[in-house]
Amino acid sequence: MHFLAPSLLLGLLAALLPWLVHLIGKRRALPVRFAAMQLLLRAERRISARRRLREILLLVARTGVAAALPLIFARPFAERSTDVPVASLDPQSAVIVLDDSASMSRSAGLATLFERARDRARTLVRLFPSDVDLALLLASAGSSPKISELSPERARVLEAFENIICSARPADFASALRNASLILSGSAHAKRRIYLFTDLQAAGWEAGTGLPAEGAPEVIIDDVSGAAPWENRAVLDVGVVPAPEAGAGGIAVDAELADFSAAGTRSLGVALKVDGVSVAKGFVDLPPGGRGHKRFLHRLTGEGGGAHEVEVEIDGDAFRLDDHRLAHVELARTMSVLIVNGDPRTARNEDEPFFFAAALRNGLPSAAVTIKLPDDVSPESLDNTTLVALLNLAQPSQAIASALARFVSAGGGLFISVGDRVDTTVWNERMAKLLPQPLGLPRTASALPGQHAGEIVDDRPAERLAPIDRSHPLLASFPEHGEGLVSARFFKYMLLDPAPESPERSVILRYESGAPALVEKQVGKGRVMLLSTTVDREWTDLPIRTGFLPLVREAARRLVGVSGDEETASLRAGEARSLVFSGDEQRLEVSRPDGSVWVGRREPASAIRSVLYRETDRLGTYHVRAVGPDGTVEARPEQDFVVNLDTRESNPARLDPSQRPDRIAVASPGAKPPKHRVELWHSLAAVMIGLLLCESALTLRRRRI
Amino acid sequence: MSEGATGSREPQPGLLDPTDLARLASLELRARTIVEGAFSGMHRNLHPGTSVEFTEHREYAPGDEIRRIDWKAVGRADRYYVKRFEDETEMHTFLVLDASASMGYRRRGVSKLDYAGYLASALAYLVGQQGDAAGLLLFDEKARSFLPPSTRPGQIREVFRLLEAARPAGRTDAALALGHLGELTDKRSLIIVMSDLLDSEPDEPGGGEARGPLPERLRQLRARGHDVALFHLLDPDEVELPFDDLIFFEGVEPGDTRTLLAQAPDLAEAFKRESEAFRDRWRATCLEASVEYRFARTDASPAAVLRAFLADRQRAVRH
Repeated sequence: MHFLAPSLLLGLLAALLPWLVHLIGKRRALPVRFAAMQLLLRAERRISARRRLREILLLVARTGVAAALPLIFARPFAERSTDVPVASLDPQSAVIVLDDSASMSRSAGLATLFERARDRARTLVRLFPSDVDLALLLASAGSSPKISELSPERARVLEAFENIICSARPADFASALRNASLILSGSAHAKRRIYLFTDLQAAGWEAGTGLPAEGAPEVIIDDVSGAAPWENRAVLDVGVVPAPEAGAGGIAVDAELADFSAAGTRSLGVALKVDGVSVAKGFVDLPPGGRGHKRFLHRLTGEGGGAHEVEVEIDGDAFRLDDHRLAHVELARTMSVLIVNGDPRTARNEDEPFFFAAALRNGLPSAAVTIKLPDDVSPESLDNTTLVALLNLAQPSQAIASALARFVSAGGGLFISVGDRVDTTVWNERMAKLLPQPLGLPRTASALPGQHAGEIVDDRPAERLAPIDRSHPLLASFPEHGEGLVSARFFKYMLLDPAPESPERSVILRYESGAPALVEKQVGKGRVMLLSTTVDREWTDLPIRTGFLPLVREAARRLVGVSGDEETASLRAGEARSLVFSGDEQRLEVSRPDGSVWVGRREPASAIRSVLYRETDRLGTYHVRAVGPDGTVEARPEQDFVVNLDTRESNPARLDPSQRPDRIAVASPGAKPPKHRVELWHSLAAVMIGLLLCESALTLRRRRI
Repeated sequence: MSEGATGSREPQPGLLDPTDLARLASLELRARTIVEGAFSGMHRNLHPGTSVEFTEHREYAPGDEIRRIDWKAVGRADRYYVKRFEDETEMHTFLVLDASASMGYRRRGVSKLDYAGYLASALAYLVGQQGDAAGLLLFDEKARSFLPPSTRPGQIREVFRLLEAARPAGRTDAALALGHLGELTDKRSLIIVMSDLLDSEPDEPGGGEARGPLPERLRQLRARGHDVALFHLLDPDEVELPFDDLIFFEGVEPGDTRTLLAQAPDLAEAFKRESEAFRDRWRATCLEASVEYRFARTDASPAAVLRAFLADRQRAVRH
């Protein structure tokens, strides 16, 4: 132990004070001749053991306090040797690069590799003399630099260490070393060095070292793993697909597992968790360094649909992050579709519902589709129905119109397509509340003089759709240019009469002429969608286009109010996610797995309808909520996503020595290992406070006995 | 037999405390003051009870029961006489006082020996007033002074003289003194013992074979038909240990080499418990031996102690 101010140790003589007080106090005792000695001695015997112990403790506590004060003021410290790699303690500029990638979170003894790396980096900073300029960077992909300009303020660097936690992102050493080189390029010191604290995993070096070919700074690598063997097992992938064979809500969960060891793994436990509850478990044998698969069949419950978190977990090892993997599944509401065939034909492929029902059955296998003729439909037919499709219906009865109004207001979906049989006058009268726009006159593609009719197909002039707007949720799943949809040709369609602007109404698709093709309207809790042409080949060839099936499927989902994705997007840690604003939403909030909330705001008056979310540095499910202009918050389950580990981080392969960027001898042979100073006065102060508390407690207790 | 304690330090109207009594000139005066204070408005007979065999008349004295006045004799002699019966005339009263060195302890107020002297003188005065025979035994480790009971004139003054002359000295051996007393009297007597009992052990709780010599002597006296009362006198310091500093305690009695250096406040609570347990054990021992036990602190009014003593005795006879 050493002292910064040893002369203050003279104050240790104060430690004799309690003893002097004790001895003088004894001498000052008042003599009393007392008759009840027997009672007195009995009482003393009763408490003597405790009293003596307490007196000794009091004396020790007081002596300790008296000795601790001068010791603290003398600023004691200890010097400890360290094996932290220091090229030299000469004046230099140094950038410390700390590997905070996922693989560094694996445990090594009592601490993780990251904690070990951070401690060693901290020790290195303390070793440096005050004329060393320092900066601090992290090595995980997409991480922000902690201290990006060189500075001699060691305290600032040490403080920055306190706020760094290991991320789940993969490593990107090329970027980190490139940035470090850039920082050092502006250094005034001749010696410029990069100190890299890492486990030397090969992953993260794929893009090279990132160092400039000329004038590259020296790189010193501290392998905090000690090259200890790492036998890892990982869940590489989890896929969820519908499994009708398992019944309603059935899913098949496929997990791909990997072994990264020389011996392989026998009977590796694999568990399936749904919403945090373990629902199935199995065992898998994995060959040495090989892969294996495990399939679970499970039936998701939940009347009316709902989101579920599906997780596959294997028996744990030192690297916990890749022992489980997530998938987020949204179970579609059980869809019951009633199709009213307004123009029945004897030839099936000429029948209105032929293409529509086929698209539904193939796009939504779980949907129950019923086709009825208009005369067979009664208000009771709407019970237990989630979607009604009126296809080329001549005129709805008054009873049916009223029942449909109640049905939609209560949350049901209504799809309307037109055709030759439609009586627009009756429709506009009886269905005024439901129609997004009043029905007008039918228009043949060439019927209006002076307008471009487009191409001629089968001797018929045709029109196409205008370019689609993919920002609409219904069209988001279509390719960028709307392939499969914009190729459809429309020979005839029904014009829609103008309607007042309303936030409840929106045009989803338009023809080239600008006339609305697909319009939707919110009515109460439900939606109505109107297609201004037929769903058979009478007025259009849309039903035989590849875009018809996804259009019907997405329209049905939107009308019934379920998410468009069976499986929510799965990202790798570090990947960005584009979040889309719908309507007039001003703010999107992302709830992270650690409970924190990220807020993305829409630029006022900006045409950009999306925002990029980059903070995917934690594994788990990220939930998205939208905040409207009036402050209402609404969940956006269709934008939820899960973040899983980049599987490269699971591979324990080490960086080939030939690819290591460090070329510098860390210390000359025989040189003394550097020492770093450990201040001890903090510990002494803590001890003194403890002794003061003991002394107070003992003094108080003494009065009670 | 009844038992009781008078430990209250609350002043009672008309009752002088021991410090005030000490200012009075003579022990006789103190005795009279105590008796007058104790018996204002109550019967003062130390031997309550009646007997069928009339023996003589005695001139009425304040405190005698009105119903015992012989109205015929009043009519004849124009003076008040009360009837005396054989049992009363044969009752002797022994006052047995511990005068060992420990009885001399005092820090404030009066010593236990002084206090015992006040009580004994008052009782002697009362007995003398009733024309009964009173005797005195002062003891330490042996019987130091013995005055046999008598009704002769000057007997009470002799008792006062011996009490005034008594000085605390020597070790205590109450058992020996009571054994000696048992040999000196074979007539039924009221024996009133006053001691701090500090070096006498009561019976162990629960009885059994572990009986102390003093309790054994008390039982023997009861077995011989004596009426025995034990006044347990303690200084307030021996009840509460109210010291505030580091104290070097030493034994009082000759040959007592026990010492203790202690922070008195540390010991106070445990000492109080020990003192209370000690008194409880003496109370239980006396109850078991049919001896009347009375505890008194030396800061309590002697008149109040005496009054409680007599009131309990009268109540016991009535019941």
